Amino acid sequence: MLRRLLFVVLVLASCRPSGRPAVGPPRRIVSLLPSFTEILFAIGAGDRVVGRTKWCDYPPAALAVPSVGEGLPPNVEAVAARHPDLVVLYNAGPNVTAAEQLERIGIRTVLIDLNRLEDLGPATRTLGRLTGFAARAESLAAFLDSLSHQPPPSSTTSTTLAFVVWDNPPIIIGHGSYLDELATAAGARNVFRDITAPSAQVSLETIAARNPQWIAVLSDSGMPSLPGFAKRREWRAVRAVRDGHFLMVPGSLFGRPGPRSGEAIRQLRALLAR
Amino acid sequence: MRWTLLVVVAVLALVASVVLGPAAVPLPELLHSDIVWDLRAPRALLAFLVGGSLGVAGAGLQALVRNPLADPFLLGLSGGAGLGAVLAIALHLSGPWALPIAAFVGALAALGLVYRLGLIGGTGRGGALDPRILLLGGVAIGAFAAAITTAIVALADAAELRNAFLWLWGGLSGASWDSVLLVVLYVPIPLAVLLAASRPLDLLALGEESAGYLGADVEAVKRRVYLAASLLTAVAVAVSGVIGFVGLVVPHLVRITWGHRHRALLPAAFLGGGALLAFADTLARTVVAPRELPVGVVTALIGVPVFALLLRRWTIA
Repeated sequence: MLRRLLFVVLVLASCRPSGRPAVGPPRRIVSLLPSFTEILFAIGAGDRVVGRTKWCDYPPAALAVPSVGEGLPPNVEAVAARHPDLVVLYNAGPNVTAAEQLERIGIRTVLIDLNRLEDLGPATRTLGRLTGFAARAESLAAFLDSLSHQPPPSSTTSTTLAFVVWDNPPIIIGHGSYLDELATAAGARNVFRDITAPSAQVSLETIAARNPQWIAVLSDSGMPSLPGFAKRREWRAVRAVRDGHFLMVPGSLFGRPGPRSGEAIRQLRALLAR
Repeated sequence: MRWTLLVVVAVLALVASVVLGPAAVPLPELLHSDIVWDLRAPRALLAFLVGGSLGVAGAGLQALVRNPLADPFLLGLSGGAGLGAVLAIALHLSGPWALPIAAFVGALAALGLVYRLGLIGGTGRGGALDPRILLLGGVAIGAFAAAITTAIVALADAAELRNAFLWLWGGLSGASWDSVLLVVLYVPIPLAVLLAASRPLDLLALGEESAGYLGADVEAVKRRVYLAASLLTAVAVAVSGVIGFVGLVVPHLVRITWGHRHRALLPAAFLGGGALLAFADTLARTVVAPRELPVGVVTALIGVPVFALLLRRWTIA
């Protein structure tokens, strides 16, 4: 409580006197995507972030920033109440409307694409340019660019896996997804690479027939070591399920592209090498 | 002749759903394939049983409420089942059967509430069930349960909650020999209750009063039919989610051919519903393979044009 009070006092103290036009880089940023929050902290602009979504849980310092609720679509009033001079939004339908509403009340907004590994470098450079941390952003962006330039694994030797995001009906990750890129970068082959959509419903027998060596599942921190469907009889037709070959990967690390994508690739490679 | 044709269609639908699938299984290996034995065969049988149950439940309910628009899911059961499933996820109930059981309990709770409302609306002769109030109560309870469900999904943190809707519209992916066995043991009782009510259901078409004069115990029949049809629907939603159009369209389809006598209508609705859902699920699994369509999309895409065609022939003839 005391810390929160102190924080509020500090935030109030750091406020510009009103009425002065905004000059120079923004000092009060609301970030409406966990990936943007991570990038802002990574390039050194973390102390300017005055609002985040309730899903922004990394780095730990971000948790001290007040949450404005769901990011997609944002609660425009809650965002405006943080008196930001820049709001960073993920470029998607409902956010476009929210950005227009914020602009109308005089708050600067920027919509940034971030769906795949190769979007990370450009997104980082944009955020660096906007915040005045271009140099640090550039070195991070150069590293992130290198992640997406890995050669695809050969189809004969590499380990195969399927990302199962829901069990009934079975929803898997296809070629158009960030997770598919992570698997490729970690030297594994997603057995559903031929599906161009980011995710798709498939039949259980298709999973059984494609016979991945591993079933990868995004897990919350409190989740058991095996997903609930591992015990269901129909899933036991899939060999990896029968053999207990599950990769339980933490959702907060694997679920979003960001500065830790390299760490996610390293962890996945280590899991696959077991 | 028409019975032979219906049985042939039903058998063909079952055979097709075992032979055809997204995984290439050569015909000679069909009987030795794990994919066929563990996945396709139980899924085909479950589709048939669920489709048949929905067909019979729809036919019974349409006769009960004397409304051609009645659908097994109109009586609030889908809303109750959805609320049950979402609560199971929000409360982190784990275990392979947590979701189906929670959905079944939710459907039963909705059933109980709607039934209670139906009795309140009755004409006062000590617990008469008013079919109009059953329909209105079903829609109201369903909407109320859906509102609570949406509120939980909107407010809770668990990301999996969004997938609860997928489960509810899920179709037959959860089929296994366990679920087939469960349904095989469960459905004969409500089916028998409905079949036994064939004659009074015929009379009910003349109006409740006339049916009473002709010797039907109208109140008992209404209660039995409502409960049996709802219990069939509840188990269908628990094992396969909400599959629309089968319970609405199949009774009308078979009525066009078999007329209004329930002793023939109900068995025909079972075979017809089973054949339609088995066939629709085969298409759902194969037409966009390796992807899969939600089976409810296919039942609507097949059921409605066939229905329109028959309706046209029927009204012209």
